[in-house]
Formats: sequence, C-alpha cells, structure tokens
Amino acid sequence: MANYYDELLRLCGFEDEEINKERFRIEKAFQRLEIGSQDMNLAESWIRQNHDLELRAVRKLLGIWLKELIDLVLAKDEGKKLVYYGFPTIAGPAAAIASASKDVYCVCPDVVLCYTMGQIFNKLTPILEAGEENGLPPGHGLCSLQQIRVGGMAKGIIPVPDLVLTSSYYCDMGSKADELLHQKYGHPAVYADGSMDSKWGEFPNYLLQRANFLGEELEKTLSKASEILGIEITTEARHEGASRSKKLFGALRDLVELMKGTDTQPLSIVELEIARRLTSGSVSKRVMGDGPNIIALLNREIKERIKKGVGVVENGAPKAMILMAHFSDPSIMRMMENSGLSIPVTVHTTLASRIMKTTPFIAGEKLAEEQLERGPFHGSYGEIKRAAEAAQEFNVDGVIFNYLFNCRPIAMLSHLLKQFVEKQTGIPVLSLEMDVYDSRAYSAAALRTRVETFADMLRARKASSGA
Amino acid sequence: MKARDMLSAHLKNRLTNLSQAKKEGRKIIGYTPGGYLPEELVLASGAIPICLIRGGDHSMVELAGAYICRWIDTFCRAQIGYGVSGEDPYYNIIDLLIVPVTDNHIRAVSDVLQYNTNIDIFPFGVPHTKDNFTLKYYLHGINRLKNRLEELTGVEITDSRLRDAIKLCNRERELLREISLIRKSQPSLISSKDFVALNHGSLIADKKVMVEILESTLKDLKKQAVVSVDGPRVLLTGSTLALGDDKVIDITEDSGGLIVIEEFAEGIRPYWEMVKLNSNLMEALADCYFTRRIPPAWFRPGKERLDFLIKLSKDFNVSGVIWYQLMYRESYKTESYYFPDILKSEAGLPMLTVESDYDAGEVGPLRTRIETFIETIRR
Repeated sequence: MANYYDELLRLCGFEDEEINKERFRIEKAFQRLEIGSQDMNLAESWIRQNHDLELRAVRKLLGIWLKELIDLVLAKDEGKKLVYYGFPTIAGPAAAIASASKDVYCVCPDVVLCYTMGQIFNKLTPILEAGEENGLPPGHGLCSLQQIRVGGMAKGIIPVPDLVLTSSYYCDMGSKADELLHQKYGHPAVYADGSMDSKWGEFPNYLLQRANFLGEELEKTLSKASEILGIEITTEARHEGASRSKKLFGALRDLVELMKGTDTQPLSIVELEIARRLTSGSVSKRVMGDGPNIIALLNREIKERIKKGVGVVENGAPKAMILMAHFSDPSIMRMMENSGLSIPVTVHTTLASRIMKTTPFIAGEKLAEEQLERGPFHGSYGEIKRAAEAAQEFNVDGVIFNYLFNCRPIAMLSHLLKQFVEKQTGIPVLSLEMDVYDSRAYSAAALRTRVETFADMLRARKASSGA
Repeated sequence: MKARDMLSAHLKNRLTNLSQAKKEGRKIIGYTPGGYLPEELVLASGAIPICLIRGGDHSMVELAGAYICRWIDTFCRAQIGYGVSGEDPYYNIIDLLIVPVTDNHIRAVSDVLQYNTNIDIFPFGVPHTKDNFTLKYYLHGINRLKNRLEELTGVEITDSRLRDAIKLCNRERELLREISLIRKSQPSLISSKDFVALNHGSLIADKKVMVEILESTLKDLKKQAVVSVDGPRVLLTGSTLALGDDKVIDITEDSGGLIVIEEFAEGIRPYWEMVKLNSNLMEALADCYFTRRIPPAWFRPGKERLDFLIKLSKDFNVSGVIWYQLMYRESYKTESYYFPDILKSEAGLPMLTVESDYDAGEVGPLRTRIETFIETIRR
C-alpha cells in the first residue's frame, strides 16, 4: 500500500519493491526523526530544485545517504554495536573496525545528518538548535558540525554509541564535543592524538617521529576498539577495509579526472560532493560496497553528457575552485553556479582523490603517512600549498576560499591562503567567510553579492585575456 | 610591598639590560606561554628566556584583523598584533621565538608570524593526551629544541649546566608555591593582584634576580601582621591571564571578593611540580613539564584539570569560582558548560563564567556580573 513518503523515496532512487520491504524500518526511523507527511512536499521540491534528478546515479546517491540515515537511527534497536568516528580525520581505522564484524556499524553521524536532514529534507535547524541548547551555544564560534552531533543525540534521533573514535590533532573542537557528550551519556571515547607542529615551508617533508607518533596513536584506536567492542580486528579485516576504501576512492578519482578533462562542466558541484562525501561519512558495508558502483554509474552518465556537449553551466564560464562544498545546503553551491561560475571540483576533493592509491592494508603508520602527505593534516603551509597546486592543475580562473568561520584549522588561513595562492599562482582568490554545515547565518542570499561580484571580475579578466 | 618595588624597578630596566646582554653576545629567546617550554634548556644554553605574555589591549586585537579573521582566541590575535607591529618591544629583541604548539590558536600565532615577519620561529608539538606515545613525542620535541638552542648559542647544554638551571628554576617554583600556599590561611596575606604581578614578573625577569625578589617577598610575608579583610574567597580560572589584562582581578577585588588562588593555562607559571634531578635530565624535564603538569582544557579528556580545580577550591576554602575565558577558545567554552554541575555536586560551589575580547566596552557589564556574583556568594 502506498504511503506519504513513496514519491520522495522514488526520487531518491528507491525501487518500489525495496520501499515495500522496508516500510516498517522507514516508518520507525521517520517517526523518530519527526519526519511526517507534512514534510514531503517541501523535501520533494527542495531536491527537485537543487539536485540533478535526471541522472539515475544522483537519485541513487541520495538514496544511499537516506538508507544510511535509517540504519543509523535504528542501529541500536537492531542490535548493532555502534561506533561513531569524528570527521574529518579518522575514517581509516573505522574502515578496519567495520570490516571486522558484521555486528558493528561504524559511521560519522553528523555528516549523515547533513546529507539527509539538510540535503534532502531541509530540516536541520531543529537539530542545530538542540545542539545550541545542550552545550554548544551560538555566538562563540563553536563548530556547527558538532552542534549537529550534540543536537541529534539530545533529541534522541541518533542513538548513544558504544564507542567514539575521535582525533585530536587537526581539530580541537571535535574531541572536546565528544568529551561533552561523554559527560552526559557516559559512553567511552578513544582519542587519536597527533601534533600539527610543522614549520612554515616544511611540507611535503615531515619528521619521521611525527609519522611514527601519529601511526602509533591510530594503531592504538584499533586495539582499544577491539578491547571495548569485544571484537578481533584481524589482518584480513585490515585488508578488507583497505580494499573497500580503495574501490571507493578509485571511483572518486575517475570522477575527478572526468571533471578535469572537460571544459563543459557536466555535473553540478552539488552532486560531485554528495558522491565524494561517501568517502568520509560512513564506512558501512553498503557505502563501501554500493558506493563505488553508484559513482561508476555517475561516471558513465557524465561521459554521455560530455560526448553530447551537455553542461550545467554556460559554456565558457570562468572556472573557479572552492575549498569545500556545503554539506547540508545545496542551494549555496547552486547560487555560485547560477552566478555564472563553473566549479568543477573542490580543493578537498582533489586531495581526497589522491589518497588510497597504494595502501594495501590498514595500519597506523601507513595511514599517518597518507594524512601527512595529504597537506591539511601536515599544517597550514601544506594545506595552502596543496590548494595552490590544485588550482593550477585544474587551470581555474579563480579560487573561492570559503573558509568555515567556526573551524579553527581552516579559519586561521583566512588571510594566509589568499596571499599565498595569489602570490604563487597569480590566480585571484576570494576569501569568503561562511559555514558549510549551518546556513542560517551564511545563506545563499547573504553570500550572493560577493560571489556575483567575484564572478563578474573573473569574466572580465577572462574576456580581457582572450582579447 | 618592598619586593614589589624591587620587581618594578627591575622590569623597568629589563629591556635596557637585555639590549646590553645582546650586545655582549647573549641570545634572547622568546616563547609563547602555556607552561610547556622548559626554561631550563634556554638558561643552560646561556641564553635568556622571555615569555611573551603581554595582552589586554584591544588595539592589538584590531590590528591583527589585517592578518587573520576574528574567530581566533583574543590573546593569540593580540600576539599577532604585537608581532607584526613590533608594539611589544620584546618581539623586536628576540633571536628566536619558541612556540610549543598546544592548540590551533597558538598554531595560528606561529603560522601567521612565520609568514608575515622575519621572526625566526621554532614550533614544537605538545600532544593533547597523556600516554607513552605522547610523552615520547614531547620528549622528542624538547630534544630537538635542545639541539636548536645549542646551534644558535654555540653552547653545549651539558648535564652540569642543565642541572644548575633546573635547581634555579625549581627554587623559583618552590618560592612561588610557598607564597601561593600562604593564601590558604584566612585572611590571606597577599592579594591576587600582588601574587599575579610576581608570577608575571617571573616570566620576564632575570631568573636569579627573581629568586631574590621571591625570597624577600616570602620573608616579608612571614613577618607581616595579619590584617583582617572580610569578603568571599574566590578561585579564578580560565584560559589566559595576560600581563596587562587586569580587569577581572580589579573588578573582583573592588567588589569585595578575595581571589585566593588562580589556575590558568597561559599567563600563570605552573609552580606545583618540581623537576626531579634524575640521571636523565631531559626525561626529568618531560616528566615535570608534560606528565605531571596539570593540563589545560585542550587536553582530552580534561578531567585531570577539573578534578584539580575541585581540589583547589576545597584546599583554599573558596566560596565560588570565576571562570574567565577569552573569546573563541572553544576548549574552555565547552568545559564551561558542564563544569558548573560538577563543581556544584562535588564541592557545593557556584560558578560565574565571564568572557572577554579585550574590549573596553566589556567593563561595565563585567562589573555588574561580578559584583552580583560576589554579593550572591558573600557569607
């Protein structure tokens, strides 16, 4: 029997048979999420407006995120051992843990909430407000991603986990918010420590001891997780975790290459990023198993568009690279594209697509080396240098450094990145303060004037250099 | 207080003395506060350590706006302002700036100054948890620092030189501790303002002179007649108490409150632990400065410090806690949400949280809040 959510689920790539089979779980999860029939019209129009539903892969991508949401909400009811890991740095050990037992569900809950309650339902505000009321108040530059985690737990829509894996070398806030949650709910947390003590200009070199230290700490998360969860993380599980990750990152790399190889932007940055974020939002068997296939489908559909010369922005539009896409509000990226900018990729996606090329095995030291070579986890200079390289590699006309005001490792680059990239590459940079999880204060409307002006400037520059 | 006058006179001439020492070939080593730089290493290399602890000036925070966005800790933005402008003369005289990287705010100071100034900067990492791996990394950091100092000064840091420096620094800590503990008595013989002035002075003054000043202070205090001062006893804690950032202490004392103990991550030299004179002195430094140091809020979990605050509040018999944090230091902001409940349940005490961006406009509202709090806890 049809129900109020059927049409939305079809738009999100669900098959009818799947909907019928999953009705009980869907309804139970939606009830807990306070999603009812009254939310469907808004959700349907929100995704029609902001997502490229002509592409089957895009529907399936929305679907896979929605399935993760349902699994997350029901994980404890269904007897799973639930492990939360912190964004952005600790998905590697989580992949090995997830591969060790089918009873363990390993996820970054705040990212899943962004990509579903934000990207699909446009209903993140009550969760953010609950986060603000439960320890992370507004007005203090506290991380909104952590507000989402705190709010989700305070509202009882995401369960109290059995374990939290949290890193404490890039972000100061995530591990502190996990401590706040531990104070309230009592669940154990394992901290993977490290140090961001690079000297300016040191990247890509790093001290061997620094990699050893981070490696030992990441390795520690595996042994502690094994002890707390009562599971054995075998060599096979480590291989399996690496192999699953490699497939996902491989598909992403193909996607990035396709975006690089064409002047006609065949896919909105909104869709590229809902694919890209699968690499860090969850390490479930579904994401790691179905994720690469869906991205492969996306790649085939894009190739068709490229062949036909179909693009999502005007031909010849100036190309811009942004640091990272908005996690929960697709309208902001749409606004940038509607301002006449072609945004083929984000800086962070180019960095993600570089990793997992060689790692056959999840081991602390290997992961540590990858983290340090990536750039941002090495230090400010590493992050800025990689941004400059990515801008040159993609031959963009401009860079929008959309820094998160409430994320210290990124906010501290507010002036440095612009100065360095402009000096090194000659590519103009717009330093644009925003938030990529919460768009209440930094909405598309609030940002439009600056982005449009920057787009006009890039167009004029391009025209004059062409002339 | 006679000793306070001695300190003022010494600090008044400090820059001149440093310039002279520099002319004579000695190196001046600046460092950011936080209690993770073993000054012993600097002293043993024949160089002079100077902690860059000035703050409280909003014009420097504003000036930093040309180099970094405003979402960084106020004290750290002020350091960027001082560093790029040279408004703090100590920044102009140093040969090397050592930055023990404790969190992203301090890292921002290091990165922005490295990019925008010619200051030679040596960052080294302070991990955020305590285990064998983190201790090993901290020890590695201070060993790197030892090599760097030897290279800069041309002086080998021998065990004998290091041992002497440790003895001197232990003596300074011991005296600060003894003076601080006097405040357990009721009424307190030394005001917070005077104690903080001594503590701040110890971050800048010549070490031997400072030890003399502290010895003289202690002697004076022991002779001093007890003057009965009425008012609720307060523990003052927070992220940074910079030299020049006096408003919370002034307002509290003006309101009739007696701050009897301070606990800060930055701005108050840690004096509770001494370096043990082991056979391996570098390990002994790491043991004191890292393992036994009460960690700031950017350690996870932060329980050790919160337990210590409960202990201090009981030992010093306070009636309330004032939690003074600077804007955007998220570790302190987060703890300030759940610590009041712990404090209430474990010590039965109330807490007032106040925040600053070094803005003169804050003084009025701050006064109202602190006065009200003092009235509330007055017994």
